[in-house]
Amino acid sequence: MTLRISAKKYIEEIQNGNLTVEEFIAKTIERIQKIDSNLHAYLEINEHAVEQARLIDKKIKAKEKVGACMGMPISIKDNICVKGTKTTCASKMLEDYISPYDATAVSKLKLEDSIIIGKTNLDEFAMGLTTEFSAFGPSKNPWNTEYVPGGSSGGSAVAVSSFECIASLGSDTGGSVRNPASFCSAVGLKPTYGLISRSGLISYSNSIEQIGPITRTVEDTAFLLNIIAGIDPHDNTTIDNHNENYLNDIDYGVEGKKIGIIKEMTQEGVDKQVSAATNKAISKLEGLGAIFEEISLDMVEYSVAAYYTITATEAGSNLARYDNLRYGYDFDSEGYEFNSYISKARKKFGPEVTRRMILGGFVPSAGHVGKYFLKAMKVKSKLTAEVNEALKKVDMLISPTVPILPFRFGEKIDDPIALFLVDINTVTANLTEKPAISIPFEISGGLPIGIQLLGNSMQDKMLLQAAYALQNTVKLPEVPV
Amino acid sequence: MVSKEEIEHVAKLMRIEIDDHLVHIDRVQKMIAYFDILDKANVESEDLVVNEQTIDSLREDTYIPYEGKLIENLKNYKGTYIRAPKLN
Repeated sequence: MTLRISAKKYIEEIQNGNLTVEEFIAKTIERIQKIDSNLHAYLEINEHAVEQARLIDKKIKAKEKVGACMGMPISIKDNICVKGTKTTCASKMLEDYISPYDATAVSKLKLEDSIIIGKTNLDEFAMGLTTEFSAFGPSKNPWNTEYVPGGSSGGSAVAVSSFECIASLGSDTGGSVRNPASFCSAVGLKPTYGLISRSGLISYSNSIEQIGPITRTVEDTAFLLNIIAGIDPHDNTTIDNHNENYLNDIDYGVEGKKIGIIKEMTQEGVDKQVSAATNKAISKLEGLGAIFEEISLDMVEYSVAAYYTITATEAGSNLARYDNLRYGYDFDSEGYEFNSYISKARKKFGPEVTRRMILGGFVPSAGHVGKYFLKAMKVKSKLTAEVNEALKKVDMLISPTVPILPFRFGEKIDDPIALFLVDINTVTANLTEKPAISIPFEISGGLPIGIQLLGNSMQDKMLLQAAYALQNTVKLPEVPV
Repeated sequence: MVSKEEIEHVAKLMRIEIDDHLVHIDRVQKMIAYFDILDKANVESEDLVVNEQTIDSLREDTYIPYEGKLIENLKNYKGTYIRAPKLN
């Protein structure tokens, strides 16, 4: 029996009776126990997974109705609530926090009989792109463990690409699903803003973040999206997708589709190998009948500064709840002075969260709001207008997901601006509320390169069709673990 | 360049107490300096686009009782009371 199968194949195997859920789950846990002490994708494993598997097997045997996931193991980023389990956000602040309810996306997965196999590592409160800021230590890139796996949903991407689960849910605020998917050779989707409910996702920057699936194939992403997308009374920003079936016509192809090559994301600052892979992807799609033209988006140059200004501001406000009164530590009941009580609790935040909190207090403060926050919001508006204009001329936009190859641990952690610029190709989709997907395309010198496609709002289906076409132009090696 | 004193003042307002003070403040200063790039974006005359939602698009204001016992997630409680530290 092999764990190296897609969600689609898993369902076939279960339906054909070639496989039991228990076998697959037990083998998955065995693999996690064997390799995860090194990779550190998981923060917690579901101890009841095998029992839950048995129950689903029983239902299958009795020919009762079984949900679409048929017991497949799915991992969840540890900033998304799973009832009765710890949700730490990889922070000491929430070390003991137990979620009292399921996130909507998680409850939809449970309804379809998936097994939540464990909670995955991330940068503390999803602030970072390497997992180096996790309070519980970084995850490692399974392609080369001296390299970062990307982030912030690094644990999810590592778990998926190294067969420690079939699929995972991450969250994407500025590339946190697509960046690690690209660095670990997995598929990662940041859907249209509002397509997936954020209820139960611990807030960092509400106006731009989204939950997104990480899988090994584009079909599996479509499969998960079918389950988790749609309107939710618990999240007023969700939009009605009219029960769109993202798997239907996934092989529609790209013939006649117009694709814009984003000039600002494909030229300056792009690694040679990444640039070569992008050109190769373009010619592959051209071979399938897509038509390319260059598109310039002037505001991309300012997008990272705008992104960090806006997210820091929202984080400063969102993280105010960790004041040791509502959430956070339980201190001894001795007397405290009010301010020192709160600041004592906040000392539990790690370095990056601390810095972004200060930043988030600074950029919207009186005297600075005009120079920073308002300008950032205007850049966001203008960037959205530019992208909307571009998407009148073309159906979608292409770029590498990340302009550089995965890098070594410690390489960028001391240079905040270098870290900022790793996000340059991904933040545009978040700031403009558009869907974007990273597709694994090449392994260069042992390190993965992903290609990003960005489409118009609610065109997630067209994006998946193009991603499927691109995926099928290459056959990539499996992860060496 | 924004001064370190200005940043420290904001940190204090955010009720953030930090140990390796200089490292953090220095790094935040660098981040803020990078944001100066926004001045070059030439967006002063742009309109701010905001998402508006009318009140009829909000969910029904109905009371949905919570079945669980949230208080049991706390370490320091007795019956239905929470024991909190004395503050002044």
